[in-house]
Amino acid sequence: MSGVTLRRLTREVEELAARGTEPAVLAALLAWTVRPRRTLEGLRRALVAHRGTDGRPPAQALLAAVRDHVDDSDAAAASRLLPRWRARGCRLSVVGDPGYPARLAEAWPMTDGPVLLAAAGAGPPPGPTVAIVGARNASSYGTGIAAWLAEVASAAGVHVVSGGAVGIDAAAHRAALEGPGGTSVVLGCGHDVGYPRGHAGAGGLFERILVAGGGLLSEQLPAVPPKAGIVRARNRIVAGLADVVVVVEGGPRSGALLTAGAAAERGRPVLAVPGDIRVPGSAAPNRLLAEGVGACTDPADLLEALPSDRVAAAATVPQAPAGASLPVTLLPSEVHRQLARAWPRAVPGDVLIDRSGLPAGTVLAALTRAQMAGEVVERADGFVLRRDPEPAAG
Amino acid sequence: MGRGLAVVRGIALVGLRPLEVRVEATCSPGLPVLKLVGLPDAAVREAGERVRTAIQRHGLRWPGERVVVNLAPADLPKVGSSFDLPLAIAVLAATGQVPMAAASRTWACGELGLDGSVRAVTGQLPLVAGARQLGARELLVPAGAAAEAALVTGLTPVPVTDLTEVVAALEGRRRVAPLEPVRPCPGPAAPDLADVRGQPLARRAVELAAAGGHHLLLTGPPGCGKTMLAERLHGLLPDLTTDEAIEVAAIHSLAGERRPDDPLRIRPPLRAPHQVVSAAALVGGGAGVPRPGELSLAHRGVLVLDELLEIPRAVLDALRQPLERGEVVLSRARARISYPGAVLLVGATNPCPCGHLGDPRRACTCRPDRIERYRARLSGPLLDRLDLQVPLQPVARAALVDGSPGEATAVVAARVAAARTAAAERWEPGRLNRDADAALLRRTTTRPALARLAAALTGLGASARAFDRMLRVARTIADLEGREVVGPGHVDEAVAYRLPPVPVSA
Repeated sequence: MSGVTLRRLTREVEELAARGTEPAVLAALLAWTVRPRRTLEGLRRALVAHRGTDGRPPAQALLAAVRDHVDDSDAAAASRLLPRWRARGCRLSVVGDPGYPARLAEAWPMTDGPVLLAAAGAGPPPGPTVAIVGARNASSYGTGIAAWLAEVASAAGVHVVSGGAVGIDAAAHRAALEGPGGTSVVLGCGHDVGYPRGHAGAGGLFERILVAGGGLLSEQLPAVPPKAGIVRARNRIVAGLADVVVVVEGGPRSGALLTAGAAAERGRPVLAVPGDIRVPGSAAPNRLLAEGVGACTDPADLLEALPSDRVAAAATVPQAPAGASLPVTLLPSEVHRQLARAWPRAVPGDVLIDRSGLPAGTVLAALTRAQMAGEVVERADGFVLRRDPEPAAG
Repeated sequence: MGRGLAVVRGIALVGLRPLEVRVEATCSPGLPVLKLVGLPDAAVREAGERVRTAIQRHGLRWPGERVVVNLAPADLPKVGSSFDLPLAIAVLAATGQVPMAAASRTWACGELGLDGSVRAVTGQLPLVAGARQLGARELLVPAGAAAEAALVTGLTPVPVTDLTEVVAALEGRRRVAPLEPVRPCPGPAAPDLADVRGQPLARRAVELAAAGGHHLLLTGPPGCGKTMLAERLHGLLPDLTTDEAIEVAAIHSLAGERRPDDPLRIRPPLRAPHQVVSAAALVGGGAGVPRPGELSLAHRGVLVLDELLEIPRAVLDALRQPLERGEVVLSRARARISYPGAVLLVGATNPCPCGHLGDPRRACTCRPDRIERYRARLSGPLLDRLDLQVPLQPVARAALVDGSPGEATAVVAARVAAARTAAAERWEPGRLNRDADAALLRRTTTRPALARLAAALTGLGASARAFDRMLRVARTIADLEGREVVGPGHVDEAVAYRLPPVPVSA
């Protein structure tokens, strides 16, 4: 017996509680859920089946439901979880509290927002938010489009959420993390698991997101592994956080379809990016299009799909200074013209050299300078300008 | 009966390094057996039977006594059949059938047939060159290898067809007419660079590779002309000098890839081993004394490795040291052997496992992590040494973009030759920019160019080795322009061949 009582757990959990979250509620919920075969989602369903929250704030309703079903051994088990959250710099919030994303808590418990949310870094901001989701097994087309959409959205002050997986998710996070909109990840496991490995490691995507002021969210206890059901369940959180969901690429059974379904249940718009019909990874977006969701063929489609009150909010966000530094190019004018005409597609080096009529060495040297300056990147299919050469007026 | 100790000199090769072997023979009372000592291998041990039969069948006398033959130095393993001839002469001298004094001045190598005929052996050319190095003035050689032996200057080969001629030569009854060395042969005409339509990037890289000897990595989907470009690169290399051609021929002779009557090839070698090549076949190896591998066979020429990423990583990593040093060092328990291996490496690979990444017409179906894993097979240190990394577009696409009419090989080869001459004058004869001394190199580079390169390296996260290697490429670019100093523009282009495309998921 470790001698941890519910009262002591309450004291211990205080420093992990997000703004406005009662430590006592948090302690009771944690102690309740550590016992096998009790899930917080089950608790929500029980509330729905019973009488809802009975007009009380969700936290009070939840506390009333669990208070009499926990003992000191539960408190001791819950207490052992806390250091793992603390090590990851997490804050815990309960649904309906001020520190809990308001959009996710809308109409709770009728909607399926998680009872408990752990967040490392900043939580998702209240402003306009878009979810960009798709397959892990993504093509360069898919990742390119995801990055394009995310970059434009973030630059317009729209927050980008996704699932933190490799492929489409990662492309969206990467492109958004440095823009004013920022980005958040909804993990498919506990905070202390480190999955996917390539993103969770030192200097990985997650660290970059935290450094850039974004957040990592999870409904799971810190050590819960990324089992299929758990990973799929987090898709509803991604949908719940967003005003619009864009499905970029995914197979016929992709988790992105779950995200789209969850968004539809909440009555939020879903968009799909038309895919190459020869590629299996296009099944999900193309099926959604066939079922009647909106097509996203341009970042403007995405911004237009945001609810009008939110667009107004986005408009107040200062624009990225892309337009200001525009006319300066390190490339020979003929080469720049070709890249601008092809944008956002890439142009192979051979074609640039051939059409410019300049010696190969001259073009290559100029491309190096432009790459060093960040004007151009080289991709597998050729060279491409980093920014839209002619940003739409207004 | 002559009861002296007869000594004849033969040559042993450890790798390409020649060592003098004294073949000593003496007769003593006892049963008529031949006792062979001095670490002979199976082929040398069998020499006893060949020599005895050849002597008897040729009407010469085999002694009715115990014959002891020692191959000195006794601790050096002797291999092959080239000791047949010195052994026979030593026995003949020990039995007084040829003059002892003449025998003790004689160098000989060659294999005997049972009928007493003298035949050429594997590695005949390096044996002759080795005898010259060891100070021999005259060498008894198989008549079949005489013309080849005549290539080696400073040594008079005495061709012999059988034991009768050997005896005659040793008795001074045989006059040697000056031999006509084998003619250098230009070999078949190489395919012309003018056939390459479009692909200006690849053409440029091939020209730089030929001029500076820089290693080349071609990345592109199957059938985009990687092999075609490698052949044209070979066509741009200048002919070998006679000395270089002999050096190359000696390696081929040692590997058993060259017969003594083959013409001397003055075109640099072009080797393209299949991708299931083993490490031993690539860099050399084998039991006992290691044999030269494909790398050494391509010495002073081009080594093409197609499907580079299909070659096991351990095999590829064996290339790292040789590429840097221009020679292969094979250390064995019994010997440490080095073979030359200054090659121009041309690697070719698909951009991803399915081959269609970056192809505008076909979608790539590879997962990003699989592409990364595929690329990771090329270890960083080896990738560091591939100075010119060029993406290729599929041919149909390149043909659609009706490219500039290709310059002919002769035109480009002239520029290549001029750049090579400039480099050789700056460093030392025969030295390429690839092998230029780093300190001297920096002295011919402007400060802004060095600063530009240092800045680029920070962006690339490249090693210090990469710094000098890129500078060498920049030096070649300047040489092709006929410039004495390397400027920032040259450096910028050199860096372009190193910038990796960003990962697809980024």
